[in-house]
Amino acid sequence: MERPIFKPIGTPTEQLDTPTLVVDIDALAHNIETVHSFFREREAKLRPHVEAHGCPAIAHRQLASAGTVGGVSVSTVGEAEVFAQAGITDITVANEVVTAQKIARLCALAQSCRVTVAADNPRVVERTSRAAQDAGVVIDVLVDVHTRLERCGVAPGEPAVALARQVHEADGLRFAGLMTYEGAILTEDADERAAESRACIQRLLDTREMVERAGIDVGTVSAGGTHNYDVVGDMAGVTEVPAGSYALLDHRYAFRRPELKQAARVLTTVMSRPEEDRAFLDCGQKAIGADNGLPAVEDIDGAEIARMSAEHGFLMLEPEARDSVDLGDKVWLTPYEIGTTANIYDYVNGVRGGKLEVVWDVSARGRYR
Amino acid sequence: MENYRPPVGTPIEDLDTPCLLVDLDAVEHNFAIIADTYADTVCKMREHSKDIKTPLLARMQMNAGGTVGGVCTAKTAEAEAMIEGGIEDILITSEVPTADKLERVCALARRADVKVTIDDPRNVRLLSEIAESSGANVGVVIEVNTSMGRAGIRAVEHGVELAKLAHSLPGLTFKGVMSHQTLPGRPDKETRMIEGRRYIQMCLDVKDAIEGEGIPVEIVSSGESWSYDVAATIEGVTEVEGGTYALMGSNYTYMDEFERAGRVLGTVISTPRPGVAIGDVGHRALGAPGGVLPDFEGPAGVSVEALHEHHVVLRSDGPMPLEVGDNFSLLSGQSDIMVNRWDNMIGVRNGVVEVVMPITARGCHH
Repeated sequence: MERPIFKPIGTPTEQLDTPTLVVDIDALAHNIETVHSFFREREAKLRPHVEAHGCPAIAHRQLASAGTVGGVSVSTVGEAEVFAQAGITDITVANEVVTAQKIARLCALAQSCRVTVAADNPRVVERTSRAAQDAGVVIDVLVDVHTRLERCGVAPGEPAVALARQVHEADGLRFAGLMTYEGAILTEDADERAAESRACIQRLLDTREMVERAGIDVGTVSAGGTHNYDVVGDMAGVTEVPAGSYALLDHRYAFRRPELKQAARVLTTVMSRPEEDRAFLDCGQKAIGADNGLPAVEDIDGAEIARMSAEHGFLMLEPEARDSVDLGDKVWLTPYEIGTTANIYDYVNGVRGGKLEVVWDVSARGRYR
Repeated sequence: MENYRPPVGTPIEDLDTPCLLVDLDAVEHNFAIIADTYADTVCKMREHSKDIKTPLLARMQMNAGGTVGGVCTAKTAEAEAMIEGGIEDILITSEVPTADKLERVCALARRADVKVTIDDPRNVRLLSEIAESSGANVGVVIEVNTSMGRAGIRAVEHGVELAKLAHSLPGLTFKGVMSHQTLPGRPDKETRMIEGRRYIQMCLDVKDAIEGEGIPVEIVSSGESWSYDVAATIEGVTEVEGGTYALMGSNYTYMDEFERAGRVLGTVISTPRPGVAIGDVGHRALGAPGGVLPDFEGPAGVSVEALHEHHVVLRSDGPMPLEVGDNFSLLSGQSDIMVNRWDNMIGVRNGVVEVVMPITARGCHH
């Protein structure tokens, strides 16, 4: 488990023990207000995908801001357990849950909250139905429809309708509706990005019509994310958008979402300054998620992360940056991906006005199962 | 935190997934190689515990033999976890730049034999002040840059100046020199021998120059998993900082005397299209530095096509032999990144759980 030196509330941010994950509370509030206010005026609502930060304290802030369905979305049963313990009573596991052990855990959760799970397989639906009946609970099921990304999901159209019918008729289950995970669409051109989102979500909406024509009510249609919440949230028929990264943002989404602020960064310290053109930070891949991309340095002109080893960040310095980086100095890194970064930390420091205000637990860290 | 501690005796196929498994026969085999290699040499292993982050495994290597009786850690917080785990001789292989953490190092030095890496005179002076005022004595080891262009002194004379400074200041004991090097690709043994010798010699040159000034050099800590056998043959090297060899990763499989002991067990959760299976292990649970895909262990003809945050996409070159609910394993490219994503590792032997080992130094990047 992470073991930082816990400093008193009120400590100036740059005196925190490094490397450490810092959330700017005002920026977080700005992001929540920006995205939630969009949904307040629309039929579609937000279901915050809280696995992006794993932090119940942030989830409660999201749910306290109008514009949501009143519940959250997660990726694993273990994450659902954490957020249920933290008092959240409406949780969607936006993922397939297939083994007897995990289905039993899902049923146990359904004793105390509304639990929704994704399904794409008739045998698993049957198994879940039996387990729910045995436990005396009702599980809500979203039929997961494949629209773009190669991952889980039945084909849109007739295969999805058939599965919806099976769920609808199964005891112990309630057919909640349809979902898709289309994957992040990060095309540079905003119009192309929107067109691609609309095209794949339309496949889901067409399937919705087919299910309704079969006489089955489709309560929920879930699609979209931070990358396209404004496009998908505007499509008639979509009822909820499980966006997650919007709350803290990250480098991957930042340039697609100029209305949002960077709310989470990793504070690091220069641990070695051996040559004019380079400095080494005390933050490597074990302290920031760099599986899919390197972090960004936003506030030192001419400095960038050239590579990261397990324990070191390699800060390359152009001439204009060389005088501003010395041994012991603090350097802020913006993670490429917030989800993988938050998942490394057990604690996140909430700061406001340059001072430590609160330390939140990243309770869902490591809850992969 | 990750919280899975299944009962001893649970068959692997009944484990909830994903979970991190350690094959105990394999890890003991790897530890035995180290014990044999260094049985009669001056040079010994100082296992780099940044890879395993588990005091129990570190002590298994120490009990097997061939070690200096202590470990390396990359960070101060890791040193705390290892000392709490009963290990009393620690080399922190990263420079510790700030006063708050140096105070922590000094507190540890009152409870164990603690050495820390240095490469900058300002840092040495700061450490000396803090050590003196806290009544501690901290060992210092100069890091020598040999091949990576990373931290470490760049020239022999800088090493000599730094050694003189450390030798003269209160609160410090100058202990020696260290270096860490990498060799990209999949080198053969001859290349390993040539390159290993060349790099380690750069560290020995600094040692010789410091001794030439009349300052004794007790420790020459160099070499790693890819050069553990090379370093053992070089006179003057006192210890090797191997880490990967314990659990192994696909980046080191050319060192084929070691067995792969660490893997993440997963379950197929969807077979959505012909030839495709989706598993419940993503890069969050596995670590995928640079996007390198993990190796797959399971039915022949299946390979990893993509890795998402919570999912792996498996592709079969014929009909997909995996069904929903089936198990498979993924082996990470870099085992230390993988271990750092978990709080427990499940030790298995003969197909069942034998021990659950808390990874107490997980997340100890402070």
